[in-house]
Amino acid sequence: MSSFVQKMRSFQRNFSVSPFPLLPLQLPSPLETHVWFVMPDEFKSVSLLNQYMELLSPCEKENVLSMRGDQLQKRALLARTLVRTTIARYQINNHVVDPRSLKFKRNVHGKPQLEWESDDGQCPSPLHFNISHTSSLIACGVTVNSPIGIDVEEKQRKIKNDILAFARRYFSLHEVEHLSAISDSEVQRQEFVKLWTLKEAYVKALGRGFSAAPFKTFTIRIKNATERGFDCSDYLESGASEVVVESSDHPVSLTNNWKFGLFELASSHYAAICTEKEKTSDDGMSAPMRLTVWKTIPFVEDECISGTEAVVPIAGLIKQF
Amino acid sequence: MAASTGSLISMQSRPGMAASRISSLKPVSLSKQGRSFLSFGFRSVPARSLRVSCAAKPETVAKVCDIVKKQLALADDTAVTGESKFAALGADSLDTVEIVMGLEEAFGISVEEESAQTIATVQDAADLIEALVEKKD
Repeated sequence: MSSFVQKMRSFQRNFSVSPFPLLPLQLPSPLETHVWFVMPDEFKSVSLLNQYMELLSPCEKENVLSMRGDQLQKRALLARTLVRTTIARYQINNHVVDPRSLKFKRNVHGKPQLEWESDDGQCPSPLHFNISHTSSLIACGVTVNSPIGIDVEEKQRKIKNDILAFARRYFSLHEVEHLSAISDSEVQRQEFVKLWTLKEAYVKALGRGFSAAPFKTFTIRIKNATERGFDCSDYLESGASEVVVESSDHPVSLTNNWKFGLFELASSHYAAICTEKEKTSDDGMSAPMRLTVWKTIPFVEDECISGTEAVVPIAGLIKQF
Repeated sequence: MAASTGSLISMQSRPGMAASRISSLKPVSLSKQGRSFLSFGFRSVPARSLRVSCAAKPETVAKVCDIVKKQLALADDTAVTGESKFAALGADSLDTVEIVMGLEEAFGISVEEESAQTIATVQDAADLIEALVEKKD
């Protein structure tokens, strides 16, 4: 507690000296995925939250204040703060950017993107990001030159509808069969939540979202080592499984483009990430997702938690750094 | 496009409802403002253009409020009205889809995923429900 107070004082001193006390970050390499997350319960200082509010655009502030109740407002505030401060730290063109200066736009399906003025005025931002939030955790995934989709859900999340009825209504036939075959209702619920996060991550990576890429039109499957039929000793970490997406609606050339990682995060959440495979790979042998995960309190501290028990791979080829 | 389709649906009505429709003109956005994006979150934008809609029956709105409160586990005394935005009440994409499924079962309708995108408020949901119920009859 006292070290937090020391950090707060030093933060306030720094803030008055320099408006951008954000430690810079190295951009992820093209094969890397960076994940930054915050846990709302760790943010109690009203003055820190007020400082965050100052980073938001007028429109974002209005949106935060339109949320019903303190907890939802805090969550909305932290989500925007996480996005702005994280992106600002990645030195695009070798200088730290004022988080307030970042501009965002949405694609036609509503996916938020960085608005980016390159020198020739034409290139899109090399930095891609996507966020997901639950009441207890907000995550931001960052990649370079690859679209990314991320979804997090609380492991304990209860489904109000009957799971199989929900799956029959929204998921594909194969996925319904997979869930129906699970006799233990708690295991079935967990598998449902994991499948939901993978499907959400996929449609968010596509940039289309649930409405423009209905969940029934594609199937996500976890293929284990024996199905892949080759030596997986390199991938023992992730239990040697690969996550694949198949669709009768989308051509194979599209669905083959994507790789997935599913892991347990902070012991409390499932997290699914979908990114584009590197262009050099043919069907099958994709390099693993090179993942680094940090827990952060913007302006105060970062904690790298990949490679610890706070990140436990469940499916997909994941290598942690 | 979905937004303009939504307003077309709202304008279809039984002849007897014409009188109540005229008396209950409300502003509606004819552009993308106020749209919900299921997987990508909702940004609240003030509606600046005129809204014309055939307002759903109060009973329909009340039933929707009830389903929303149950899904989001809101306290009974939480004020949920037609104006309430799902996102502002804390609904994420899974909540919204669960709510839509609850509405389908309660009203015996089927909501296409594309239409689910037009639902940002309780009123939007109620209006869409009544339009779909009418199409059924």
